[in-house]
Amino acid sequence: MRVKRKGIAALVGLMLTAMGFWGLSTVVKRTSSFTPPESSPGYRLVSIQQVPDLAEICLPEEEHAGAAARSASFDKNDGNDVLALLRGTSVYAASQESAQTVEVGRQPVRRLWDTDPSYGSIAFDTRTGKVFLQDLNLWAIRIFDRTTNTPANAVRSEPERVIQGKETELQFNTCMYIDPKNGDIYTVENDVGDSIKVFSQDASGNTAPKRNLKVTHRAHTITVDEEKEELFVSVNYPPQVEVYRKTASGNEKPLRVVTGESTRLADVHGIAIDDKAKELFVNNWGHISQYNVPGSGRFEDPSITVYPLDASGDTAPLRVIQGPRTQLDWPGAMFVDPDKGEVYVTNSVGQSILVFGAKDKGDVPPRRILKGPRTRLSYPASLAVDIKNQELWISNLGSASATVYPLTANGDVAPLRTIRSAPANKVSLKFGKTQAVTYDTKREEILVPN
Amino acid sequence: MHGFAYDDVHDEIVVNSPLAQAILTFRGGASGEEPPVRVIQGTQTQILGDAYSALDKVSVDGVNNEIYLPLGLGDVRGQSRDTLPAILVFDRLANGNVAPKRILKGPRTQIVGNKPPVAIDPLHNLVVVNLNNAFLIFDRTASGDTPPKAVIRGPRSQVASTGNFRVYAPTGMIVGRCSGESVCAWSVNDNGDVPPRWKIPVKQITGYRISGLALDPAHKEVLFSVAGWGGDDYPASRIMNAVLTFSWPEIYN
Repeated sequence: MRVKRKGIAALVGLMLTAMGFWGLSTVVKRTSSFTPPESSPGYRLVSIQQVPDLAEICLPEEEHAGAAARSASFDKNDGNDVLALLRGTSVYAASQESAQTVEVGRQPVRRLWDTDPSYGSIAFDTRTGKVFLQDLNLWAIRIFDRTTNTPANAVRSEPERVIQGKETELQFNTCMYIDPKNGDIYTVENDVGDSIKVFSQDASGNTAPKRNLKVTHRAHTITVDEEKEELFVSVNYPPQVEVYRKTASGNEKPLRVVTGESTRLADVHGIAIDDKAKELFVNNWGHISQYNVPGSGRFEDPSITVYPLDASGDTAPLRVIQGPRTQLDWPGAMFVDPDKGEVYVTNSVGQSILVFGAKDKGDVPPRRILKGPRTRLSYPASLAVDIKNQELWISNLGSASATVYPLTANGDVAPLRTIRSAPANKVSLKFGKTQAVTYDTKREEILVPN
Repeated sequence: MHGFAYDDVHDEIVVNSPLAQAILTFRGGASGEEPPVRVIQGTQTQILGDAYSALDKVSVDGVNNEIYLPLGLGDVRGQSRDTLPAILVFDRLANGNVAPKRILKGPRTQIVGNKPPVAIDPLHNLVVVNLNNAFLIFDRTASGDTPPKAVIRGPRSQVASTGNFRVYAPTGMIVGRCSGESVCAWSVNDNGDVPPRWKIPVKQITGYRISGLALDPAHKEVLFSVAGWGGDDYPASRIMNAVLTFSWPEIYN
């Protein structure tokens, strides 16, 4: 579905089968522009170098017209004489012999960015009732009280504190875990950081983490077996689940790794532990290949695979939930309620929260589905459960918000409360890591994978 | 994903599937969960990435109906393997388990980096490869262990390695990252340690280090995507994702 709002079109799921991890993609009109907040220093002009005859950036109309005509003529050409359309006069500022470079010191004419957070993950501190929201856009963790409820006419709710800044080493972090014993904040970075940072429960501002564990590239989700004090880490690709000592740091190696063809792991994302049944739940997006075998790639349906909690190596799953009736579509964070025997799964592109029976297997429909316009779900990527208050927290990547529901909510249920960090009804750019860009000349649209 | 392509001749979007060793082609106007119109995948394709970044870029030559896919080494980052990467060239209309029509690979090509980005100049019939702070310029149909016909490299050239770069065929301009986290433009006719013709000091002006690059010839603009890198690359705005558009008519004239 292409959604247009104020010149912004969100192309969601184009890369469904193309992307391995944070893969929402965005399409925006060429002239779309976002302005930084007044509090932001924004751009700092370092220097302007006058360029003879080149300082004017507005092009003569005839140049626009000529270029546009050439572009438009592709439509009529049917590809029969494309080279003719491309031919132009080569005019160079300098020759190879002149050995001169003309420096162009002008400012950008447009900047497309989102000044508000993109909440990729959420965590809940059962001891204090605080909600932690991880921001992929501004590289921060914002902490709110669970009772926060942004009024409809308010622009946003301000957090009680924010962990943010160069010293924090927060980057494109994709999951948090709050230690139920001491409130330590664990957060894992999915891309260039390749690490798990641990902050003290009261960390605030530009604070360095108190512990750092290097983990495999594409580490995505973390959880802890508190009884055995083991830290579980999912890795998108090569697909695996690594298990470390809970307090591991530095370059410490995992105690064991679940990986191999028998595991049926395929682009691993969410993980969760059933501490009663002693089982490990893993969800998979279904993109798979052997990185050292040419042409071995294939696509499979998304799935949830279940293993003994002490599984190691190439262990086959005990059960697999997979198939069209499951409605799995970019599953993300999970939670197992051992008392109710239920598994909660965020379903980002499905715009839903799915609840399965913990012993389900095969192509089974969810027991409950939280979905619909009243839910205000918008690319729900992560969840947290408040067992004490029987509430389900969701972070919405698409609206810079967190919404909370009764734990047993089913269907199109409105949230009990909403924490918004952006104006109501804002459609986020959903930028997660704008590494690449290309331009659609026919539609004058900018294509950005994340 | 470090690079993908829009084919303006056929109005299609070409991407690779990083983890599933595939090339996917979508309609240009694709939206939502629309399936690709073609998929290149399977044992005949020879497609190979690596453990660290898998596959991460692809280019298209709509004029000559070809798709270029730079391969990885099938290794884990940091491992040393006695192998060379390759550039696979597929027919644009290939679909299914299809072998590449050409492979550019071998010690004489000087292609020794991992998944080097590729750009095609269909007007001058050239293929340009960026790696190890150099542009290697080949005849477009070069195949096998063929040496480049020109190499732009050296301290005066300022060429830097990057995730992707572009060639604007009508003026023969190569637009890519250069030293000082700037963006420079060279000519496809350059050879040797040749300084760039034009330079935008993007980091100096904006505080951002560029990641992606796209051309908008109709409006004579260049688009840069920027994504936070951490460490000293911490922009004053604290906004870690952006697309910056610069007017740069000089490279189009």
